[in-house]
Amino acid sequence: MDAQVPRDGKLPPLWHYGHEGHDEISTKTLGFWLYMISDSLIFGGLFAAYGVLDQPMSFAGGPGPAQIMHPVAAFGQTLAVLTSVLAYSLGTLAMKTNNKAGVLLGIVGAMVLAVIFLGLEFNDFAVLYAHGATLQRSGFLAAFFILIATHGLHMMFGLLWMAVMLVQVGRYGLSKEIVMRLLNLRLFWQFQASVWVCVYIYVYLRGTFS
Amino acid sequence: MSVHEDADPLMHPEVQQSSVFGYLSGYAVTVLLLLLSMYITIAHMLPPIPLLGVLSGLALVILIAQAFLFFGLDFSQHHIWKSLSIILTVPLFILSIGLTVWMFHSLDGLTMMPDMPGMSMQPTLLQ
Repeated sequence: MDAQVPRDGKLPPLWHYGHEGHDEISTKTLGFWLYMISDSLIFGGLFAAYGVLDQPMSFAGGPGPAQIMHPVAAFGQTLAVLTSVLAYSLGTLAMKTNNKAGVLLGIVGAMVLAVIFLGLEFNDFAVLYAHGATLQRSGFLAAFFILIATHGLHMMFGLLWMAVMLVQVGRYGLSKEIVMRLLNLRLFWQFQASVWVCVYIYVYLRGTFS
Repeated sequence: MSVHEDADPLMHPEVQQSSVFGYLSGYAVTVLLLLLSMYITIAHMLPPIPLLGVLSGLALVILIAQAFLFFGLDFSQHHIWKSLSIILTVPLFILSIGLTVWMFHSLDGLTMMPDMPGMSMQPTLLQ
């Protein structure tokens, strides 16, 4: 036991009794970042399935990508999702100056644009269904609808999260908990823009040539 | 670097990192490069395989620009684990998507009869 007592009589510190100074905001954003990476692997699986089923055998006599993809029309969705991400991101910048109204304005703008995006997407799906191009029609269409709808579902959950944040920011202001949630939502929302870039290029543009 | 419990959350580097210029340029790069991708695709400027290569290059540039300008990734003490985790995940994407598509693509070449009825079927909808 003597070996553990230093000559000056002070015990070496075994642990700190006080607060260690863990950076809670950074810890939570890193945790959410890792979650978003696992989420992106879901999209990886769906893109792999789409890549496999994007060939004539899987069209089963139904429409192929060239018949259902309209890159110019889909650019409207592209602009809606990207501008929504920009609006939310600019909204979070208002946190730097403790500007609650700026944050709320950014969230409302992002929500409006996300609703426009989802409206365009539902309209797109409705037109395809009206022409008999349904989820059950072929393996290719199943892969297409599931990939696009998974992104759309993410957009819907983002909208729900934003609605919750509108209430929370209004009620509690820019407290630490709220700031962490707003930062994680920014990550989530910007991630939807990155996924849409891959969707637009590998589904909508790729579909027009073979 | 450590931020204590009682520190102002609005002064946290994660809040302070970003700028209007960064987000606007990330947005501009994404929109302009996607417009360029759309233009070279619908103008039929390239044969399919080179076109796919060019589009993939543009997608990569957009995603890297977003990593810096939207997500604010860098190798500073504050962001290094985010950057490292995404860099280590990129090979998983390439393996899972690339190998799956390549496997099934080769499988079709090995198993398809030249005159399979399904191959010659023409799309009947949305002509």
